[in-house]
Amino acid sequence: MEMTDRLNKNFLVQGWLVILLCLVFGGSLTAVQLTLSPVIEANKKNEILQIIPGLISEENSTAINKEATLPFTVSPFYVNSEKQGRHLSYAVFEAKDKDGNISGWAARASGQGYADKIELLLGLNPEAEKITGLFILEQKETPGLGNKISEIKWRDQFKGKKTDKAISAIKGKAVNANEIDAITGATISSKSVCRIINQMVGDIRPPLKMKLEESVHEKK
Amino acid sequence: MTYITDIFLIAISAALINNFVLYYFVGICPFIGVSRNVDIAFGMGFAVTFVMTIAGSISWAITTLVLVPGAPFTRFIAGFFLDPGQAVQIDLTTLSYIVYIFAIASSVQFVEMYIRKFFPSLYKSFGVFLPLITTNCAILFACLTIMSHVAGVENPADVWGLSKALALSFFGGVGFTIAIVIMAGIREELDFCDVPECLQGAAITLIVAGILAMAFMGFTGVDSGLRVALTGG
Amino acid sequence: MTAEPTAPERFIRGILPENPTYRQLLGLCPTLAVTNNMKSALTMAGAVLFVLFCANVMVSLIRNLLKPHLRIVAFTLVIAAFVTIVDRLLAAYMYTMSKNLGPYIPLIIVNCIIIGRCEICASKESVLKAASDAIGQSIGFGIGLSSIAFFREIIGTGMVFGTRVLPQIWPDWVIMILPPGAFFTFGLLLGSVNYMVNRKNTSIKNRDSMK
Repeated sequence: MEMTDRLNKNFLVQGWLVILLCLVFGGSLTAVQLTLSPVIEANKKNEILQIIPGLISEENSTAINKEATLPFTVSPFYVNSEKQGRHLSYAVFEAKDKDGNISGWAARASGQGYADKIELLLGLNPEAEKITGLFILEQKETPGLGNKISEIKWRDQFKGKKTDKAISAIKGKAVNANEIDAITGATISSKSVCRIINQMVGDIRPPLKMKLEESVHEKK
Repeated sequence: MTYITDIFLIAISAALINNFVLYYFVGICPFIGVSRNVDIAFGMGFAVTFVMTIAGSISWAITTLVLVPGAPFTRFIAGFFLDPGQAVQIDLTTLSYIVYIFAIASSVQFVEMYIRKFFPSLYKSFGVFLPLITTNCAILFACLTIMSHVAGVENPADVWGLSKALALSFFGGVGFTIAIVIMAGIREELDFCDVPECLQGAAITLIVAGILAMAFMGFTGVDSGLRVALTGG
Repeated sequence: MTAEPTAPERFIRGILPENPTYRQLLGLCPTLAVTNNMKSALTMAGAVLFVLFCANVMVSLIRNLLKPHLRIVAFTLVIAAFVTIVDRLLAAYMYTMSKNLGPYIPLIIVNCIIIGRCEICASKESVLKAASDAIGQSIGFGIGLSSIAFFREIIGTGMVFGTRVLPQIWPDWVIMILPPGAFFTFGLLLGSVNYMVNRKNTSIKNRDSMK
């Protein structure tokens, strides 16, 4: 009886500090989370929103335009598709100008590159028939070789390409309208980017065309 | 079929291509400290794999069931105090680091008791190393990787299930074991070499590890090729 | 019996004589992972400074209330909480850097330096000594990280802090910013430090034996 009493007292006496610390830290972490999470969410959103103007309008370069005022209102939505039992989902951003007409689309896709996942943002014109820009969001390709896919010079090759035929990366000099130059020594990275773009474009073209028709109908 | 391919690719990636020690630099302390001879290294690798698998599954379970917004357990408890719309929004992921480290500490404690009971000779040869596994970066890293595939994933179809989490934890440990056993074998040979005095000990181990890392770099792109070959894109 | 080191002594010791990276070989995971450029290395050193300082001060404040067999639990809790705070702060105010450092910020929780200092120093000494120990060790850690990062960045990319320093003729040794380069740089630098320390010790020994 006395022993169990002693044991009980011991546990509470021993553990009270840890329990107190748990409560103190639990409270402070919740406070930190509540104050900072809006800032963090805004950071995540802005990352993509800052890139979109450069992708949509063909006059801007595909460099990030931080000071640019957004002439478009951007609203995100998801395009889903089923393929071979896999459920795919693409985040698409719809850019509407001041009059409410659709100025273009920015679609995000990811896929396997040479070393790891590549995540990219593709700009399309309102009819989803021409590529207006490409931005690589995340890649871990070989530095000095594969990671040149992030360079503006290489990405600009995609501007103006039509989406009706698949784009392919050619090892030498690109000749046809649907070909681009692969990076020397980084053929697989270049081909992966093309593959990701082709797959996404094939999946989202019909839904985007439908959305354009709907919005034109709505305006009438 | 694609599910099995996914698990296979996660396993290969964790064990060889993105090897925890030689690519992600986690678990370096035991890698340099314990790789003196092959038997101890193998035992350490075995223990780390065991702990990692247990800790990985516990972390997956807690993250999926308690921490993410809309988790079943939290919703159930909060359902008594708040209305369902608010209960779904409770996001406890800030507490994840604290939860994981305690999960790891408990797993180590559990494994220690298990080994002490069933493999007493192994327990004796481990000495102080077993509790030290708690501060092994590799295990926390495995838990963090699982968390990044469960919390904050945009496409709900990409959220990892238990089998993928288990595959990552187990084969991450296997990769750690491979690296540490190879290093132990090399170091056993190095004992017969004439290493300059200033490089003896950790320095030469690091340089050898660099050469090992270069060798493992040869695996880059294997999972990419496998994925394209097995799924056609 | 040597006296316990005073606060200034602890500060000085942490920087070079008991440097966590080169002499104690602690906290090696971030040392190899984030040193491929100077900016990440310094951010990591700053984060460790924050966590180590706060954890040391807090543990020192409650040192008389700690029960022996629950102290590791208490240390872990304190450290994990401060690391979460640092992680959120970085994600809010230095978002790109937070993405670059990735999973290595939460790994500060299991960084042996911090638990080691809490155990050795903060749980036994006053707040002032614990604080100066924390700052000294963090500066030492920062020196360790920056030395490796400096060589990796300049040889690997010809840049320091993102601005090109070497002429264009220099062929960037890309291997330096990849994992093998981390191991090689650290191994060679560690060898050089050992060499210098050994030479100093032998010259002191020779000087003493000649007296």
